[in-house]
Amino acid sequence: MRGAPLGGATGAVAGPVIWAAGLALPFALDSSWVSIAAFFAIYAITALSEDVILGRAGMFDMGHAVYFGIGAYVTAILNTTLNVPILLTLPLAMLLAAAAGALLSAPLIRLRGDYLLVATIGFNAIFVLAMQNDPGGITGGSDGITGIGVPSLFGLQLESQSAMFWLDWVVLGAVLLVMRNLDRCEFGRALRYLKQDELAAGTLGVDARAVKTLAFALGAALAGLAGTLFAVQLSTVSPSSFVFTESVTLFAIVIVGGQGSIPGVLLGTALMFVVPQIFRGLAEYRYFVFGIAMVAVMVLRPQGLLPRRRAVT
Amino acid sequence: MSALLELQGVGISFGGLRAVDDLSFSVTEGQIVGLIGPNGAGKTTVFNMITGVYRPKTGRVLWQGREITGAKPARIARLGLRRTFQTIRLFAEMSVFENVRAGCHLAARQHWWEGLLGLPGQRREEAELAARTHEILRRLDLDGVADAPATSLPYGVQRRVELARTLAGQPKLIILDEPAAGLNDAESAALNETIFMIRETGVTILLVEHDMNVVMRVSDHVVVINFGRKIAEGDAAAVRADPAVIEAYLGREDAEEVAA
Repeated sequence: MRGAPLGGATGAVAGPVIWAAGLALPFALDSSWVSIAAFFAIYAITALSEDVILGRAGMFDMGHAVYFGIGAYVTAILNTTLNVPILLTLPLAMLLAAAAGALLSAPLIRLRGDYLLVATIGFNAIFVLAMQNDPGGITGGSDGITGIGVPSLFGLQLESQSAMFWLDWVVLGAVLLVMRNLDRCEFGRALRYLKQDELAAGTLGVDARAVKTLAFALGAALAGLAGTLFAVQLSTVSPSSFVFTESVTLFAIVIVGGQGSIPGVLLGTALMFVVPQIFRGLAEYRYFVFGIAMVAVMVLRPQGLLPRRRAVT
Repeated sequence: MSALLELQGVGISFGGLRAVDDLSFSVTEGQIVGLIGPNGAGKTTVFNMITGVYRPKTGRVLWQGREITGAKPARIARLGLRRTFQTIRLFAEMSVFENVRAGCHLAARQHWWEGLLGLPGQRREEAELAARTHEILRRLDLDGVADAPATSLPYGVQRRVELARTLAGQPKLIILDEPAAGLNDAESAALNETIFMIRETGVTILLVEHDMNVVMRVSDHVVVINFGRKIAEGDAAAVRADPAVIEAYLGREDAEEVAA
Protein backbone atom coordinates (compact mmCIF):
# COMPACT_ATOMS: atom_id res chain seq x y z
CA MET A 1 0.00 0.00 0.00
CA ARG A 2 2.55 2.54 1.15
CA GLY A 3 4.81 2.05 -1.85
CA ALA A 4 1.92 2.22 -4.28
CA PRO A 5 1.85 5.97 -5.12
CA LEU A 6 5.57 5.95 -5.78
CA GLY A 7 5.23 2.75 -7.75
CA GLY A 8 2.43 4.26 -9.83
CA ALA A 9 4.48 7.36 -10.60
CA THR A 10 7.52 5.26 -11.46
CA GLY A 11 5.41 3.13 -13.75
CA ALA A 12 3.98 6.17 -15.51
CA VAL A 13 7.51 7.36 -16.33
CA ALA A 14 9.25 4.01 -16.71
CA GLY A 15 6.67 2.50 -19.07
CA PRO A 16 7.03 5.03 -21.91
CA VAL A 17 10.83 5.17 -21.43
CA ILE A 18 11.18 1.40 -21.75
CA TRP A 19 8.88 1.40 -24.76
CA ALA A 20 10.89 4.19 -26.44
CA ALA A 21 14.14 2.36 -25.71
CA GLY A 22 12.60 -0.70 -27.34
CA LEU A 23 12.41 1.22 -30.62
CA ALA A 24 16.21 1.05 -30.77
CA LEU A 25 16.32 -2.76 -30.56
CA PRO A 26 16.90 -3.28 -34.31
CA PHE A 27 20.14 -1.27 -34.03
CA ALA A 28 21.41 -3.44 -31.20
CA LEU A 29 20.30 -6.93 -32.20
CA ASP A 30 20.69 -9.17 -35.21
CA SER A 31 17.65 -9.92 -37.28
CA SER A 32 16.77 -13.22 -35.64
CA TRP A 33 16.56 -11.43 -32.29
CA VAL A 34 14.57 -8.62 -33.84
CA SER A 35 12.15 -11.25 -35.06
CA ILE A 36 11.87 -12.60 -31.49
CA ALA A 37 11.16 -9.08 -30.29
CA ALA A 38 8.48 -8.76 -32.97
CA PHE A 39 6.85 -11.99 -31.80
CA PHE A 40 7.02 -10.73 -28.24
CA ALA A 41 5.10 -7.59 -29.26
CA ILE A 42 2.49 -9.66 -31.12
CA TYR A 43 1.97 -12.16 -28.29
CA ALA A 44 1.96 -9.34 -25.73
CA ILE A 45 -0.97 -7.74 -27.56
CA THR A 46 -2.75 -11.10 -27.63
CA ALA A 47 -2.11 -11.73 -23.94
CA LEU A 48 -3.29 -8.21 -23.04
CA SER A 49 -6.45 -8.87 -25.06
CA GLU A 50 -7.02 -12.07 -23.07
CA ASP A 51 -6.50 -10.03 -19.93
CA VAL A 52 -9.47 -7.80 -20.85
CA ILE A 53 -11.75 -10.84 -20.73
CA LEU A 54 -10.05 -13.03 -18.14
CA GLY A 55 -8.07 -10.71 -15.89
CA ARG A 56 -10.39 -7.73 -15.75
CA ALA A 57 -13.86 -9.12 -16.37
CA GLY A 58 -13.08 -12.47 -14.73
CA MET A 59 -14.58 -14.55 -17.55
CA PHE A 60 -12.79 -17.86 -18.11
CA ASP A 61 -12.02 -17.64 -21.82
CA MET A 62 -10.01 -20.75 -22.71
CA GLY A 63 -10.49 -20.33 -26.46
CA HIS A 64 -8.83 -16.99 -27.06
CA ALA A 65 -6.65 -18.30 -29.90
CA VAL A 66 -9.86 -18.31 -31.99
CA TYR A 67 -9.97 -14.51 -32.20
CA PHE A 68 -6.21 -14.31 -32.82
CA GLY A 69 -6.75 -16.85 -35.61
CA ILE A 70 -9.71 -15.00 -37.11
CA GLY A 71 -7.59 -11.86 -37.42
CA ALA A 72 -4.74 -13.78 -39.05
CA TYR A 73 -7.02 -15.62 -41.50
CA VAL A 74 -8.97 -12.49 -42.46
CA THR A 75 -5.72 -10.73 -43.39
CA ALA A 76 -4.31 -13.81 -45.13
CA ILE A 77 -7.43 -14.49 -47.21
CA LEU A 78 -8.15 -10.89 -48.20
CA ASN A 79 -4.52 -10.21 -49.07
CA THR A 80 -3.79 -13.39 -51.03
CA THR A 81 -7.08 -13.76 -52.91
CA LEU A 82 -8.28 -10.18 -53.38
CA ASN A 83 -4.94 -8.36 -53.07
CA VAL A 84 -6.30 -6.09 -50.37
CA PRO A 85 -3.40 -4.10 -48.86
CA ILE A 86 -2.40 -5.45 -45.44
CA LEU A 87 -3.13 -2.30 -43.49
CA LEU A 88 -6.62 -2.15 -44.99
CA THR A 89 -7.33 -5.68 -43.80
CA LEU A 90 -6.46 -4.65 -40.27
CA PRO A 91 -9.74 -2.91 -39.34
CA LEU A 92 -11.68 -5.75 -40.96
CA ALA A 93 -9.72 -8.34 -38.99
CA MET A 94 -10.55 -6.48 -35.79
CA LEU A 95 -14.21 -6.06 -36.69
CA LEU A 96 -14.77 -9.68 -37.64
CA ALA A 97 -12.95 -10.95 -34.55
CA ALA A 98 -15.02 -8.57 -32.39
CA ALA A 99 -18.24 -9.75 -34.02
CA ALA A 100 -17.24 -13.38 -33.44
CA GLY A 101 -16.39 -12.62 -29.81
CA ALA A 102 -19.72 -10.88 -29.21
CA LEU A 103 -21.80 -13.51 -31.01
CA LEU A 104 -20.09 -16.54 -29.50
CA SER A 105 -20.20 -15.12 -25.99
CA ALA A 106 -23.82 -13.93 -26.18
CA PRO A 107 -25.42 -17.27 -25.29
CA LEU A 108 -22.72 -18.00 -22.67
CA ILE A 109 -22.58 -14.73 -20.82
CA ARG A 110 -24.74 -15.93 -17.93
CA LEU A 111 -22.74 -19.13 -17.51
CA ARG A 112 -20.65 -19.69 -14.42
CA GLY A 113 -16.87 -19.70 -14.87
CA ASP A 114 -16.35 -23.44 -15.23
CA TYR A 115 -19.12 -23.86 -17.81
CA LEU A 116 -17.88 -20.89 -19.80
CA LEU A 117 -14.40 -22.40 -19.77
CA VAL A 118 -15.58 -25.67 -21.27
CA ALA A 119 -17.74 -23.93 -23.87
CA THR A 120 -14.83 -21.75 -25.05
CA ILE A 121 -12.61 -24.85 -25.35
CA GLY A 122 -15.33 -26.17 -27.66
CA PHE A 123 -15.14 -23.03 -29.81
CA ASN A 124 -11.41 -23.49 -30.16
CA ALA A 125 -11.77 -27.12 -31.26
CA ILE A 126 -14.45 -26.21 -33.81
CA PHE A 127 -12.40 -23.32 -35.17
CA VAL A 128 -9.28 -25.43 -35.74
CA LEU A 129 -11.33 -28.21 -37.32
CA ALA A 130 -13.08 -25.74 -39.60
CA MET A 131 -9.80 -24.20 -40.77
CA GLN A 132 -8.34 -27.69 -41.44
CA ASN A 133 -11.35 -28.66 -43.52
CA ASP A 134 -10.86 -25.72 -45.86
CA PRO A 135 -14.46 -24.43 -46.06
CA GLY A 136 -15.19 -23.00 -49.50
CA GLY A 137 -11.56 -23.59 -50.42
CA ILE A 138 -10.46 -20.35 -48.76
CA THR A 139 -8.43 -21.43 -45.71
CA GLY A 140 -6.02 -23.82 -47.40
CA GLY A 141 -6.71 -26.75 -45.07
CA SER A 142 -3.96 -28.05 -42.78
CA ASP A 143 -1.22 -26.35 -44.82
CA GLY A 144 -2.90 -23.00 -44.40
CA ILE A 145 -2.23 -19.95 -46.56
CA THR A 146 1.18 -18.85 -47.76
CA GLY A 147 2.51 -15.86 -49.63
CA ILE A 148 0.99 -13.11 -47.52
CA GLY A 149 2.37 -9.74 -48.63
CA VAL A 150 4.09 -7.06 -46.63
CA PRO A 151 2.38 -3.90 -45.39
CA SER A 152 3.11 -0.65 -47.14
CA LEU A 153 2.90 2.70 -45.47
CA PHE A 154 2.93 5.92 -47.51
CA GLY A 155 4.30 3.96 -50.45
CA LEU A 156 7.04 2.47 -48.27
CA GLN A 157 7.25 -1.35 -48.30
CA LEU A 158 7.77 -2.58 -44.73
CA GLU A 159 9.70 -5.67 -45.83
CA SER A 160 12.71 -5.75 -43.54
CA GLN A 161 12.41 -7.47 -40.19
CA SER A 162 13.26 -4.16 -38.53
CA ALA A 163 10.44 -2.33 -40.31
CA MET A 164 7.97 -5.02 -39.32
CA PHE A 165 9.24 -4.90 -35.75
CA TRP A 166 8.66 -1.16 -35.63
CA LEU A 167 5.12 -1.63 -36.89
CA ASP A 168 4.45 -4.26 -34.19
CA TRP A 169 6.10 -2.14 -31.53
CA VAL A 170 4.05 0.95 -32.40
CA VAL A 171 0.82 -1.07 -32.37
CA LEU A 172 1.83 -2.56 -29.00
CA GLY A 173 2.36 0.98 -27.71
CA ALA A 174 -1.13 1.97 -28.84
CA VAL A 175 -2.65 -1.12 -27.21
CA LEU A 176 -0.79 -0.35 -23.98
CA LEU A 177 -2.31 3.14 -24.01
CA VAL A 178 -5.78 1.68 -24.48
CA MET A 179 -5.19 -0.75 -21.61
CA ARG A 180 -4.02 2.07 -19.37
CA ASN A 181 -7.11 4.11 -20.24
CA LEU A 182 -9.26 1.06 -19.54
CA ASP A 183 -8.07 1.26 -15.93
CA ARG A 184 -9.25 4.84 -15.69
CA CYS A 185 -12.66 4.69 -17.30
CA GLU A 186 -16.12 3.63 -16.23
CA PHE A 187 -16.23 0.66 -18.61
CA GLY A 188 -13.00 -0.76 -17.18
CA ARG A 189 -14.24 -0.26 -13.64
CA ALA A 190 -17.57 -1.92 -14.41
CA LEU A 191 -15.61 -5.01 -15.50
CA ARG A 192 -13.94 -5.19 -12.12
CA TYR A 193 -17.22 -4.69 -10.26
CA LEU A 194 -18.69 -7.62 -12.15
CA LYS A 195 -15.64 -9.77 -11.54
CA GLN A 196 -15.72 -9.19 -7.80
CA ASP A 197 -19.45 -9.28 -7.07
CA GLU A 198 -21.97 -9.46 -9.88
CA LEU A 199 -25.00 -9.16 -7.58
CA ALA A 200 -23.69 -6.01 -5.88
CA ALA A 201 -22.70 -4.59 -9.28
CA GLY A 202 -26.25 -5.12 -10.54
CA THR A 203 -27.73 -3.14 -7.66
CA LEU A 204 -25.43 -0.27 -8.60
CA GLY A 205 -26.90 -0.27 -12.09
CA VAL A 206 -24.19 -2.20 -13.97
CA ASP A 207 -25.77 -3.91 -16.97
CA ALA A 208 -23.91 -7.24 -16.77
CA ARG A 209 -24.91 -8.52 -20.20
CA ALA A 210 -23.95 -5.37 -22.09
CA VAL A 211 -20.67 -4.86 -20.24
CA LYS A 212 -19.54 -8.50 -20.54
CA THR A 213 -20.44 -8.69 -24.23
CA LEU A 214 -18.48 -5.52 -24.86
CA ALA A 215 -15.51 -6.96 -22.94
CA PHE A 216 -15.56 -10.04 -25.16
CA ALA A 217 -15.82 -7.89 -28.29
CA LEU A 218 -12.96 -5.64 -27.21
CA GLY A 219 -10.73 -8.56 -26.19
CA ALA A 220 -11.46 -10.32 -29.47
CA ALA A 221 -10.84 -7.16 -31.53
CA LEU A 222 -7.40 -6.66 -29.97
CA ALA A 223 -6.61 -10.35 -30.54
CA GLY A 224 -7.70 -9.93 -34.17
CA LEU A 225 -5.35 -6.97 -34.46
CA ALA A 226 -2.50 -9.15 -33.19
CA GLY A 227 -3.59 -11.83 -35.67
CA THR A 228 -3.02 -9.47 -38.59
CA LEU A 229 0.49 -8.65 -37.34
CA PHE A 230 1.14 -12.37 -36.86
CA ALA A 231 0.14 -13.19 -40.45
CA VAL A 232 2.44 -10.44 -41.70
CA GLN A 233 5.38 -11.52 -39.56
CA LEU A 234 5.16 -15.17 -40.63
CA SER A 235 3.84 -14.44 -44.14
CA THR A 236 1.90 -17.65 -43.69
CA VAL A 237 -0.94 -18.85 -41.48
CA SER A 238 -1.98 -22.38 -40.64
CA PRO A 239 -4.37 -23.97 -38.12
CA SER A 240 -1.52 -25.21 -35.90
CA SER A 241 -0.84 -21.66 -34.68
CA PHE A 242 -4.30 -21.37 -33.15
CA VAL A 243 -4.78 -24.68 -31.41
CA PHE A 244 -6.11 -25.19 -27.91
CA THR A 245 -2.65 -25.21 -26.29
CA GLU A 246 -2.12 -21.64 -27.57
CA SER A 247 -5.28 -20.63 -25.71
CA VAL A 248 -4.03 -22.39 -22.60
CA THR A 249 -0.74 -20.51 -22.87
CA LEU A 250 -2.52 -17.16 -23.14
CA PHE A 251 -4.71 -18.08 -20.17
CA ALA A 252 -1.66 -19.08 -18.12
CA ILE A 253 0.25 -15.90 -19.02
CA VAL A 254 -2.53 -13.78 -17.52
CA ILE A 255 -2.91 -15.90 -14.38
CA VAL A 256 0.84 -16.31 -13.77
CA GLY A 257 1.75 -12.74 -14.69
CA GLY A 258 -1.01 -11.05 -12.70
CA GLN A 259 -4.64 -10.55 -13.61
CA GLY A 260 -5.48 -7.00 -14.62
CA SER A 261 -1.83 -5.98 -14.33
CA ILE A 262 -0.13 -4.63 -17.47
CA PRO A 263 3.44 -5.25 -16.21
CA GLY A 264 2.37 -8.70 -15.06
CA VAL A 265 0.97 -9.70 -18.44
CA LEU A 266 4.07 -8.36 -20.21
CA LEU A 267 6.35 -10.30 -17.86
CA GLY A 268 4.28 -13.45 -18.38
CA THR A 269 4.56 -13.05 -22.15
CA ALA A 270 8.31 -12.58 -21.93
CA LEU A 271 8.69 -15.69 -19.75
CA MET A 272 6.65 -17.77 -22.15
CA PHE A 273 7.91 -16.55 -25.51
CA VAL A 274 11.28 -14.87 -25.05
CA VAL A 275 13.06 -16.83 -22.33
CA PRO A 276 12.70 -20.12 -24.28
CA GLN A 277 14.50 -18.46 -27.20
CA ILE A 278 17.42 -17.54 -24.97
CA PHE A 279 17.78 -21.17 -23.92
CA ARG A 280 17.13 -22.40 -27.38
CA GLY A 281 18.69 -25.80 -26.71
CA LEU A 282 16.08 -26.28 -24.07
CA ALA A 283 13.16 -25.26 -26.28
CA GLU A 284 11.57 -28.65 -25.85
CA TYR A 285 11.47 -28.06 -22.14
CA ARG A 286 9.47 -24.87 -22.60
CA TYR A 287 6.23 -26.32 -21.31
CA PHE A 288 8.09 -28.28 -18.68
CA VAL A 289 9.73 -25.18 -17.27
CA PHE A 290 6.65 -23.01 -17.63
CA GLY A 291 4.52 -25.77 -16.17
CA ILE A 292 6.65 -25.91 -13.05
CA ALA A 293 6.63 -22.11 -12.89
CA MET A 294 2.82 -22.13 -13.11
CA VAL A 295 2.48 -24.58 -10.26
CA ALA A 296 5.02 -22.70 -8.14
CA VAL A 297 3.39 -19.33 -8.73
CA MET A 298 -0.10 -20.61 -8.00
CA VAL A 299 1.05 -22.13 -4.72
CA LEU A 300 3.41 -19.40 -3.56
CA ARG A 301 1.97 -16.30 -5.18
CA PRO A 302 -1.61 -16.90 -6.32
CA GLN A 303 -2.15 -13.23 -7.14
CA GLY A 304 0.50 -13.50 -9.89
CA LEU A 305 4.13 -12.44 -10.28
CA LEU A 306 3.39 -8.71 -10.62
CA PRO A 307 -0.13 -8.35 -9.22
CA ARG A 308 -2.36 -5.41 -9.92
CA ARG A 309 -1.77 -2.48 -7.59
CA ARG A 310 -4.66 -0.97 -5.69
CA ALA A 311 -5.52 2.48 -6.96
CA VAL A 312 -4.71 5.30 -4.59
CA THR A 313 -6.46 8.66 -4.69
CA MET B 1 -48.29 11.96 0.94
CA SER B 2 -47.58 10.03 -2.22
CA ALA B 3 -46.50 6.42 -2.16
CA LEU B 4 -43.00 6.10 -3.55
CA LEU B 5 -43.06 2.33 -3.40
CA GLU B 6 -46.11 0.12 -3.12
CA LEU B 7 -46.49 -3.65 -2.81
CA GLN B 8 -49.88 -5.11 -3.75
CA GLY B 9 -50.55 -8.70 -2.74
CA VAL B 10 -46.99 -9.79 -3.44
CA GLY B 11 -46.17 -13.47 -2.96
CA ILE B 12 -43.52 -16.05 -3.85
CA SER B 13 -42.88 -19.69 -3.00
CA PHE B 14 -39.77 -21.84 -3.09
CA GLY B 15 -40.27 -25.56 -3.64
CA GLY B 16 -43.81 -25.53 -2.32
CA LEU B 17 -42.94 -23.37 0.67
CA ARG B 18 -44.88 -20.12 0.69
CA ALA B 19 -42.05 -17.74 1.64
CA VAL B 20 -44.10 -14.55 1.26
CA ASP B 21 -47.87 -14.49 0.90
CA ASP B 22 -50.24 -11.72 -0.21
CA LEU B 23 -48.10 -8.93 1.26
CA SER B 24 -49.23 -5.33 0.79
CA PHE B 25 -47.76 -2.15 2.19
CA SER B 26 -46.50 1.16 0.91
CA VAL B 27 -43.58 3.45 1.58
CA THR B 28 -44.37 7.16 1.64
CA GLU B 29 -41.84 9.66 0.36
CA GLY B 30 -39.62 11.11 3.11
CA GLN B 31 -40.47 8.42 5.66
CA ILE B 32 -38.40 5.78 7.39
CA VAL B 33 -40.39 2.56 7.16
CA GLY B 34 -39.34 -0.46 9.19
CA LEU B 35 -40.10 -4.00 8.07
CA ILE B 36 -39.66 -6.36 10.99
CA GLY B 37 -40.20 -9.98 11.77
CA PRO B 38 -38.36 -12.84 13.40
CA ASN B 39 -35.56 -14.66 11.57
CA GLY B 40 -36.94 -16.56 8.62
CA ALA B 41 -40.09 -14.43 8.42
CA GLY B 42 -39.37 -13.57 4.79
CA LYS B 43 -37.94 -10.06 5.18
CA THR B 44 -34.96 -10.47 2.91
CA THR B 45 -37.15 -12.28 0.38
CA VAL B 46 -39.39 -9.20 0.28
CA PHE B 47 -36.34 -7.06 -0.42
CA ASN B 48 -35.14 -9.38 -3.13
CA MET B 49 -38.53 -9.16 -4.84
CA ILE B 50 -38.49 -5.37 -4.73
CA THR B 51 -34.93 -5.10 -6.06
CA GLY B 52 -35.36 -7.57 -8.91
CA VAL B 53 -33.28 -10.44 -7.51
CA TYR B 54 -36.46 -12.59 -7.38
CA ARG B 55 -39.57 -12.19 -9.48
CA PRO B 56 -42.82 -12.36 -7.42
CA LYS B 57 -45.20 -15.15 -8.44
CA THR B 58 -48.26 -13.11 -7.49
CA GLY B 59 -49.04 -9.45 -6.96
CA ARG B 60 -47.46 -6.23 -8.17
CA VAL B 61 -44.68 -3.88 -7.16
CA LEU B 62 -45.30 -0.22 -8.01
CA TRP B 63 -42.74 2.58 -8.14
CA GLN B 64 -44.32 6.05 -8.12
CA GLY B 65 -47.50 4.39 -9.40
CA ARG B 66 -45.79 2.55 -12.28
CA GLU B 67 -45.45 -1.21 -12.28
CA ILE B 68 -41.89 -2.56 -11.89
CA THR B 69 -42.71 -6.15 -10.93
CA GLY B 70 -39.79 -8.41 -11.79
CA ALA B 71 -37.65 -5.64 -13.32
CA LYS B 72 -33.93 -6.45 -13.45
CA PRO B 73 -31.63 -5.09 -10.69
CA ALA B 74 -29.89 -2.68 -13.07
CA ARG B 75 -33.23 -1.11 -14.07
CA ILE B 76 -34.31 -0.86 -10.45
CA ALA B 77 -31.08 1.00 -9.72
CA ARG B 78 -31.76 3.37 -12.58
CA LEU B 79 -35.11 4.32 -11.02
CA GLY B 80 -33.30 5.59 -7.93
CA LEU B 81 -33.78 2.58 -5.70
CA ARG B 82 -30.64 1.32 -3.98
CA ARG B 83 -30.00 -1.37 -1.41
CA THR B 84 -27.48 -2.74 1.03
CA PHE B 85 -27.01 -6.39 1.87
CA GLN B 86 -27.45 -8.26 5.10
CA THR B 87 -24.01 -9.74 4.63
CA ILE B 88 -22.03 -6.71 3.55
CA ARG B 89 -21.08 -6.96 -0.12
CA LEU B 90 -18.23 -4.56 -0.68
CA PHE B 91 -15.79 -5.06 -3.54
CA ALA B 92 -13.09 -6.85 -1.57
CA GLU B 93 -10.10 -6.01 -3.77
CA MET B 94 -10.90 -2.29 -3.86
CA SER B 95 -10.29 0.65 -1.56
CA VAL B 96 -13.04 2.49 0.30
CA PHE B 97 -12.82 5.26 -2.29
CA GLU B 98 -13.22 2.84 -5.21
CA ASN B 99 -16.19 1.17 -3.53
CA VAL B 100 -18.01 4.46 -3.00
CA ARG B 101 -17.03 5.62 -6.49
CA ALA B 102 -18.75 2.46 -7.79
CA GLY B 103 -22.03 3.92 -6.55
CA CYS B 104 -21.65 6.71 -9.14
CA HIS B 105 -21.74 4.20 -12.02
CA LEU B 106 -25.03 5.40 -13.46
CA ALA B 107 -24.03 9.05 -13.18
CA ALA B 108 -21.21 8.46 -15.69
CA ARG B 109 -22.32 9.68 -19.13
CA GLN B 110 -19.11 8.71 -20.97
CA HIS B 111 -19.19 6.14 -23.76
CA TRP B 112 -16.84 3.19 -23.54
CA TRP B 113 -14.82 4.36 -26.55
CA GLU B 114 -14.35 7.81 -25.02
CA GLY B 115 -12.92 6.03 -22.00
CA LEU B 116 -10.56 3.86 -24.06
CA LEU B 117 -9.30 6.93 -25.92
CA GLY B 118 -9.08 9.00 -22.72
CA LEU B 119 -10.79 12.01 -24.32
CA PRO B 120 -10.81 15.33 -22.40
CA GLY B 121 -14.57 15.21 -21.71
CA GLN B 122 -14.22 11.77 -20.16
CA ARG B 123 -11.27 12.87 -18.01
CA ARG B 124 -13.32 15.86 -16.82
CA GLU B 125 -16.20 13.59 -15.86
CA GLU B 126 -13.83 11.30 -13.97
CA ALA B 127 -12.60 14.29 -11.97
CA GLU B 128 -16.17 15.39 -11.22
CA LEU B 129 -17.24 11.95 -10.04
CA ALA B 130 -14.09 11.63 -7.92
CA ALA B 131 -15.01 14.95 -6.29
CA ARG B 132 -18.55 13.72 -5.67
CA THR B 133 -17.15 10.57 -4.08
CA HIS B 134 -14.87 12.57 -1.79
CA GLU B 135 -17.81 14.73 -0.78
CA ILE B 136 -19.82 11.66 0.30
CA LEU B 137 -16.80 10.20 2.09
CA ARG B 138 -16.53 13.45 4.06
CA ARG B 139 -20.23 13.45 4.90
CA LEU B 140 -20.08 9.93 6.29
CA ASP B 141 -16.79 10.61 8.04
CA LEU B 142 -14.89 8.11 5.89
CA ASP B 143 -12.33 10.45 4.32
CA GLY B 144 -9.65 9.22 6.74
CA VAL B 145 -9.87 5.68 5.40
CA ALA B 146 -10.44 6.50 1.70
CA ASP B 147 -7.39 4.54 0.54
CA ALA B 148 -7.76 1.61 2.93
CA PRO B 149 -8.73 -1.78 1.50
CA ALA B 150 -12.49 -1.84 2.14
CA THR B 151 -12.73 -5.24 3.77
CA SER B 152 -9.82 -4.61 6.16
CA LEU B 153 -11.98 -2.24 8.23
CA PRO B 154 -14.12 -2.95 11.30
CA TYR B 155 -17.63 -4.18 10.58
CA GLY B 156 -19.32 -0.93 11.59
CA VAL B 157 -17.12 1.07 9.21
CA GLN B 158 -17.79 -1.39 6.39
CA ARG B 159 -21.51 -0.79 6.94
CA ARG B 160 -20.92 2.92 6.57
CA VAL B 161 -18.94 2.34 3.39
CA GLU B 162 -21.81 0.34 1.96
CA LEU B 163 -24.22 3.13 2.93
CA ALA B 164 -21.93 5.67 1.29
CA ARG B 165 -21.91 3.56 -1.87
CA THR B 166 -25.72 3.59 -2.05
CA LEU B 167 -25.78 7.35 -1.40
CA ALA B 168 -23.30 7.96 -4.22
CA GLY B 169 -26.05 6.88 -6.61
CA GLN B 170 -28.21 9.81 -5.41
CA PRO B 171 -31.13 7.47 -4.68
CA LYS B 172 -34.73 8.38 -3.92
CA LEU B 173 -35.21 5.31 -1.77
CA ILE B 174 -32.65 3.10 -0.08
CA ILE B 175 -33.40 -0.30 1.29
CA LEU B 176 -31.26 -1.35 4.24
CA ASP B 177 -31.15 -5.08 4.94
CA GLU B 178 -30.43 -5.58 8.65
CA PRO B 179 -27.85 -2.79 8.87
CA ALA B 180 -27.42 -3.35 12.63
CA ALA B 181 -26.51 -7.01 12.20
CA GLY B 182 -23.11 -7.70 13.74
CA LEU B 183 -22.73 -4.20 15.20
CA ASN B 184 -21.98 -3.48 18.85
CA ASP B 185 -24.08 -0.96 20.81
CA ALA B 186 -21.87 2.02 20.05
CA GLU B 187 -21.77 1.18 16.35
CA SER B 188 -25.51 0.63 16.38
CA ALA B 189 -26.10 4.07 17.92
CA ALA B 190 -23.82 5.65 15.34
CA LEU B 191 -25.79 3.85 12.64
CA ASN B 192 -29.04 5.41 13.91
CA GLU B 193 -27.44 8.84 13.63
CA THR B 194 -26.35 8.07 10.08
CA ILE B 195 -29.84 6.88 9.12
CA PHE B 196 -31.39 10.09 10.44
CA MET B 197 -28.78 12.14 8.64
CA ILE B 198 -29.59 10.37 5.38
CA ARG B 199 -33.30 11.04 5.82
CA GLU B 200 -32.49 14.73 6.40
CA THR B 201 -31.13 14.87 2.85
CA GLY B 202 -34.54 13.83 1.53
CA VAL B 203 -33.90 10.15 0.95
CA THR B 204 -36.71 7.75 1.85
CA ILE B 205 -35.63 4.65 3.77
CA LEU B 206 -37.02 1.14 3.99
CA LEU B 207 -35.36 -0.74 6.77
CA VAL B 208 -35.44 -4.47 7.42
CA GLU B 209 -34.38 -5.41 10.89
CA HIS B 210 -34.93 -7.94 13.56
CA ASP B 211 -33.21 -5.74 16.14
CA MET B 212 -36.34 -4.11 17.58
CA ASN B 213 -34.41 -1.29 19.25
CA VAL B 214 -33.11 0.11 15.99
CA VAL B 215 -36.45 -0.14 14.21
CA MET B 216 -38.53 1.31 17.03
CA ARG B 217 -36.17 4.21 17.49
CA VAL B 218 -35.92 5.37 13.91
CA SER B 219 -39.07 4.26 12.06
CA ASP B 220 -42.05 6.49 11.26
CA HIS B 221 -44.05 3.47 10.24
CA VAL B 222 -43.58 -0.22 11.02
CA VAL B 223 -44.78 -3.29 9.12
CA VAL B 224 -44.57 -6.62 10.95
CA ILE B 225 -44.47 -9.93 9.10
CA ASN B 226 -44.30 -13.51 10.27
CA PHE B 227 -44.19 -16.65 8.14
CA GLY B 228 -44.41 -14.42 5.08
CA ARG B 229 -47.65 -12.70 6.09
CA LYS B 230 -48.31 -9.25 7.45
CA ILE B 231 -49.54 -9.47 11.04
CA ALA B 232 -49.51 -5.80 12.04
CA GLU B 233 -48.82 -2.32 10.71
CA GLY B 234 -48.73 1.15 12.25
CA ASP B 235 -46.47 3.54 14.14
CA ALA B 236 -43.91 2.15 16.55
CA ALA B 237 -46.07 2.62 19.66
CA ALA B 238 -49.12 0.95 18.12
CA VAL B 239 -47.11 -2.02 16.85
CA ARG B 240 -45.38 -2.44 20.16
CA ALA B 241 -48.74 -2.66 21.92
CA ASP B 242 -50.28 -5.01 19.38
CA PRO B 243 -51.03 -8.36 21.06
CA ALA B 244 -50.54 -10.25 17.80
CA VAL B 245 -47.02 -8.86 17.53
CA ILE B 246 -46.17 -9.57 21.14
CA GLU B 247 -47.43 -13.12 20.96
CA ALA B 248 -46.56 -14.23 17.48
CA TYR B 249 -43.35 -12.38 16.96
CA LEU B 250 -41.69 -11.12 20.10
CA GLY B 251 -42.17 -14.04 22.46
CA ARG B 252 -42.59 -13.49 26.17
CA GLU B 253 -39.08 -12.45 27.19
CA ASP B 254 -38.59 -10.08 24.30
CA ALA B 255 -42.03 -8.59 24.98
CA GLU B 256 -41.00 -7.62 28.49
CA GLU B 257 -37.77 -6.20 27.21
CA VAL B 258 -39.55 -3.99 24.67
CA ALA B 259 -42.25 -2.93 27.12
CA ALA B 260 -39.63 -1.91 29.67
